[in-house]
Amino acid sequence: MLLIHCPYCGETLPETEFAYAGEAHIARPENPSEQTDAEWVEYLFMRSNVKGVHFERWRHIHGCGRFFNAARHTVTDKFLTTYKAGEPRPDIEALTGIKAGVKEGEK
Amino acid sequence: MTFDKKTAGGVTIEELPAEARFSLRVRDGERAAVAGALGLELTDTVGVMTSGSGRKALCLGPDEWVLSGAPGDAAAITAACAGVYDAAPHSLVEISEREIFIRASGPAVEALMATGVARDLSRIGPGQGARTVFDGTPVVLVREKTDSFRLNVWRSFAPHLLGHLFHVQKELASGL
Amino acid sequence: MSTYRIQGRGRVNHSEPVYFTFDGKTYTGLRGDTVASALLANGVHLMGRSFKYHRPRGAVSAGSDEPNALLGTRRGKGQFEPNTRATLQEVRGNLETTSQNKLPSLKFDIGAINDASYMMFSAGFYYKTFMWPKSFWDKVYEPFIRAAAGLGVAPSEEDPDDYAARYVHIDLLVVGGGVAGIMAALTGARAGAKVVLVDETAEMGGALLSEPAVTIGGMAGWDWLAAALEELESLGVQVMTRTTAIGYYHENMVGLVQRVSDHLDHVPEGAPRERLWRVRAKQVVLAQGALEKPLVFDGNDRPGVMLASAAQTYLNRYGVKVGSRAVVVTTHDSAWYAAFDLAEAGISVAAIADIRPKIDAELVSKARALGIEVLPSHTVITTRGRLRVKSVSVAPVSNGAVGTSRVIPCDVVLMSGGWTPSLHLFSHTQGKLKWDAEAQVYLPDVKTEEVEIAGAGRGLWGYGAALEDGVVAGRTAVKALGLRATARAPGVGVDRPGTGIMVKDLPTNGDPGKARAFVDFQNDVTAKDIRLAVREGMRSIEHVKRYTTNGMATDQGKMSNMNGLMIASDALGKAPPQVGLTTFRPPYTPTTFGALANYVRGHQFEVTRKTAIDSWAEENGAVFEPVSQWRRAWYFPKDGEDMAAAVARECAATRKSVGIFDASTLGKIEVVGPDAVEFMNRTYTNPWTKLAPGRTRYGLLLGEDGYIRDDGVIGRLSQDRFHVTTTTGGAARVLNMMEDYLQTEWPDLKVWLTSTTEQWATVAVNGPNARKVLEPLVEGLDISNEAFPHMSIAECTVAGLPARLFRLSFTGELGFEINVPASKGRVLWEALMKSGAEYDICPYGTETMHVLRAEKGYIIVGQDTDGTVTPGDAGLDWALGKKKPDFIGMRGLKRPDLVASGRRQLVGLLTSDPKVKLEEGAQIVLDPNQPKPMKMVGWVTSSYYSATLGRTIAMALIEGGFDKMNDTVYIPMPDKTITAKITGTVFYDPEGEKVKL
Repeated sequence: MLLIHCPYCGETLPETEFAYAGEAHIARPENPSEQTDAEWVEYLFMRSNVKGVHFERWRHIHGCGRFFNAARHTVTDKFLTTYKAGEPRPDIEALTGIKAGVKEGEK
Repeated sequence: MTFDKKTAGGVTIEELPAEARFSLRVRDGERAAVAGALGLELTDTVGVMTSGSGRKALCLGPDEWVLSGAPGDAAAITAACAGVYDAAPHSLVEISEREIFIRASGPAVEALMATGVARDLSRIGPGQGARTVFDGTPVVLVREKTDSFRLNVWRSFAPHLLGHLFHVQKELASGL
Repeated sequence: MSTYRIQGRGRVNHSEPVYFTFDGKTYTGLRGDTVASALLANGVHLMGRSFKYHRPRGAVSAGSDEPNALLGTRRGKGQFEPNTRATLQEVRGNLETTSQNKLPSLKFDIGAINDASYMMFSAGFYYKTFMWPKSFWDKVYEPFIRAAAGLGVAPSEEDPDDYAARYVHIDLLVVGGGVAGIMAALTGARAGAKVVLVDETAEMGGALLSEPAVTIGGMAGWDWLAAALEELESLGVQVMTRTTAIGYYHENMVGLVQRVSDHLDHVPEGAPRERLWRVRAKQVVLAQGALEKPLVFDGNDRPGVMLASAAQTYLNRYGVKVGSRAVVVTTHDSAWYAAFDLAEAGISVAAIADIRPKIDAELVSKARALGIEVLPSHTVITTRGRLRVKSVSVAPVSNGAVGTSRVIPCDVVLMSGGWTPSLHLFSHTQGKLKWDAEAQVYLPDVKTEEVEIAGAGRGLWGYGAALEDGVVAGRTAVKALGLRATARAPGVGVDRPGTGIMVKDLPTNGDPGKARAFVDFQNDVTAKDIRLAVREGMRSIEHVKRYTTNGMATDQGKMSNMNGLMIASDALGKAPPQVGLTTFRPPYTPTTFGALANYVRGHQFEVTRKTAIDSWAEENGAVFEPVSQWRRAWYFPKDGEDMAAAVARECAATRKSVGIFDASTLGKIEVVGPDAVEFMNRTYTNPWTKLAPGRTRYGLLLGEDGYIRDDGVIGRLSQDRFHVTTTTGGAARVLNMMEDYLQTEWPDLKVWLTSTTEQWATVAVNGPNARKVLEPLVEGLDISNEAFPHMSIAECTVAGLPARLFRLSFTGELGFEINVPASKGRVLWEALMKSGAEYDICPYGTETMHVLRAEKGYIIVGQDTDGTVTPGDAGLDWALGKKKPDFIGMRGLKRPDLVASGRRQLVGLLTSDPKVKLEEGAQIVLDPNQPKPMKMVGWVTSSYYSATLGRTIAMALIEGGFDKMNDTVYIPMPDKTITAKITGTVFYDPEGEKVKL
């Protein structure tokens, strides 16, 4: 069972209180009606599926209820950091020396 | 009452009486106005409970409190909040009936709680609480005293939770 | 007392005999014995038959790594466990044990014919043997494989025992109660850390329990142990025996299984059999020691052939002589010490055969002083004896050439192939190992968790080194905890560290093709199998493992992996690290399902949510059905009624007069705030701005893909407050989706969401007489059709209870839904039943609700939709706020595939034969005579018998269905093809006049 730091509660808590909520930093377009089919497909379906550092959303559903973002390494399953919704993507390379979104061996 | 009080294995499990309860949601800018109307402080530290004017407010999330008062206090709470709504918009929704209130207390209460709560209970001091999960059931738990916990559980989940608590009570009574 | 027990020796209680049975015969053991030590004390070595060849087998070890001595154990009805390790299970009163894999008896076994057909069962025999003819697959091969597969017998009765679980949060977990572990725990506890120390056996002490001659801190080893345990207790350390660390998971969570009551003669009422501990430790010290390896030679599996350390343990810990005449075969000094202990205890040790040419002079002289013949540079050729070893043949080896063998009579052979550090838990963390070429072992290298490894687990031998290392590991952990360590390691006397070498299968002068030199005892894998696998093309150890099944038995290769690797490396001509190492996975030892399931069984298996009215339904004979987590009244049969009759009656009563239904499970969400209406406009498809307070509307919720997600009636209570209802199953999902948009896409909106599903109990009253039933109970509201028209909402008093009253209908009749405080649900229900008595008010369940709504063509999300249905497909285009700038799914609805023609559309179906009811899910074709596979154009989503219409009705999703009105379609079933006509979905009151009463 993972331990996850909720940036709203300021506590590191058991995974059972949290729910995964998909890839982070995929903003809903301001005016969906103006989106081309290709743009809408990109928003609706395309996800990065990285082997490495993945930016993703979690919800502290059985806690404070807030959605927040996390950087998690999909190979080690280790959280590098979590941060509040709306905050910019942190610089993981500066934090840890691991390049974000880069496949193993390509570093 | 939906179940009888029972003491065994170093824990007492009992139902607590009804109270007026509300879910209160308000943003930072309007919090002070609502707190003033209610006559208590509203902390934004998740897990901390404050009290005043015979009312209690447990902060469950950055903009969420569960507000409780005496059973007859519901109308006064509603009126107090309505009075500041236009100036300080917020959400007040009565949930007095949503939950059953269970108290588990006694020297073995931590062992009982540790059969269902994955959190480190030592980090929840007297007067603090949290929304969490008890053996798969969503609950709001409050540590009333060192050896006394209160579990607020949605009505329909209560039989399941109580089934667990009474089962573990027998386990604790076995001494093993 | 038996001749094999040494009076007064060991840690068993010689004054407390314990009686247990083995294969029906009663044996006497002593309190503190394992089943294995007690049987050995009675001279019993034959404890089971092997899995594949049914060869006679006895205990080879004295611990949890035991591959052979697996027994069935039983306490009472349902309390049976197969594959219990006799070397771990303590004797107790009321313990019945049985041997396994015997046919018909342990001493005479016809399955041993497999042993004679050895060639047939060589590596990969599954893949080679069960190939052809094809007709044999299910008639011959599968029954054969099924009969042969499986170890022991699965219990057939429900397990009546209780199992428990607990979370625990600590500073330091120490796994392994040997001296390294104890020292690490002491170091932590003395620094003030909260410590748990666990060991899988019945007693702390580890190898020290088998070596009483050691002195520690100037005391006898066992006295030091007692003092250390006393200190641990006084420092508040939780010392847990009979507790196995089964798995090491993320973020220093370690799973422990504690055997709480299996050793007790009588289990107290309510006591669990086992308890699963989920430990979250800030620091972990693994002090699991090392496991001795067997040697690989022909006949190394015969009862009486065992690990040298096991014999030493049986002697010193349990006071049991494993035989009367021993021969020791070894590559490591440790077996010499075992031999000395046995000889000094009066067991004749005929010889020590060591593969090494040069042996420490002190060992040699001590052996000679004890009258033991010393045979350096010797290999083992074979053993003899049917159910017990009678002799061993050894031969000198010189420059790789094996000389003439000689036979030494004996009744036990003690072997040692050196020691393997126990790194299973470390491997669970994905910790990396490195190969130590000198010691020929894998040692821990790169760590992924907050863990230290102490003692023999990282290749350190001897008590002095283990104690020192325990302190080092403890100090590292203490420092990481921000505490200050003060502990120092005590001095050690009579330490016997020793060295040794690692070898592959022993050299022999016999026919290697006939050798039964076992590597994996439990899966009957021999050295020859592994060499064959390499010859047949396996290169990676992972392939060798799967081809031969080496290391795939319940012991996960604790004894066999390293020997298998050494042999495979030799066959491949590569160094072991180039061949690899198989991965250890949890659990460390076999774990009961009971421990893993613990409380989650029987009534507690799954939550069953019940409404406030459920008790009334139960008292009135309702039949229930599960709907998501809820149980709901399905129908209310009267005496002698079957389901069809009950549902027909309930439908008729509701349409004719009035029915009453518990709708409490519907999800309810209160949407409050100045931006409530804007939020509703953005989420639901419908326009909400013009919905006046006091009015309600059917709301439709889509996903961004344009597909229907949920629906429900939504009432506007005031300018800033909506009462949203969702489907029963969708309540949590819809709230989560709303919160997601609100928090992450529209954080500017001043609106908040609160679940009120369980704040309210909801009762629906439907039928032409609904108002007459309700009206007398309502205060503060005029519910006449004029004052309170269809699709209204108001707050009022009903039956003296504060209520939110909806006028709506899911039946097509005049309908009301009354929400009252949840605890008063039954009060309301009973008041309505009383008020409705004169109209023969009829309680109905979910089945009647389904029929009545289907007669009206109202959809059930999740039944008539499947996540690929648009509002257009379902005929719900009218619910789209087309003038709104946006709502969730609006853009999605314009996707090319969603506007293309030929989409499946929801239509009605009437079978040609009005008595024939279609099966829900049945596939539909346009031409029943086309060749198979036929083109399927859709399927039946809902199908019922309608009492109102006197015939069956159905709904279906059919390609281009709206343009096929009155067409005939075909539904091929196994026995016949059903014909049906496509219709609209509204079968009853198409003008919708009834709801307007």
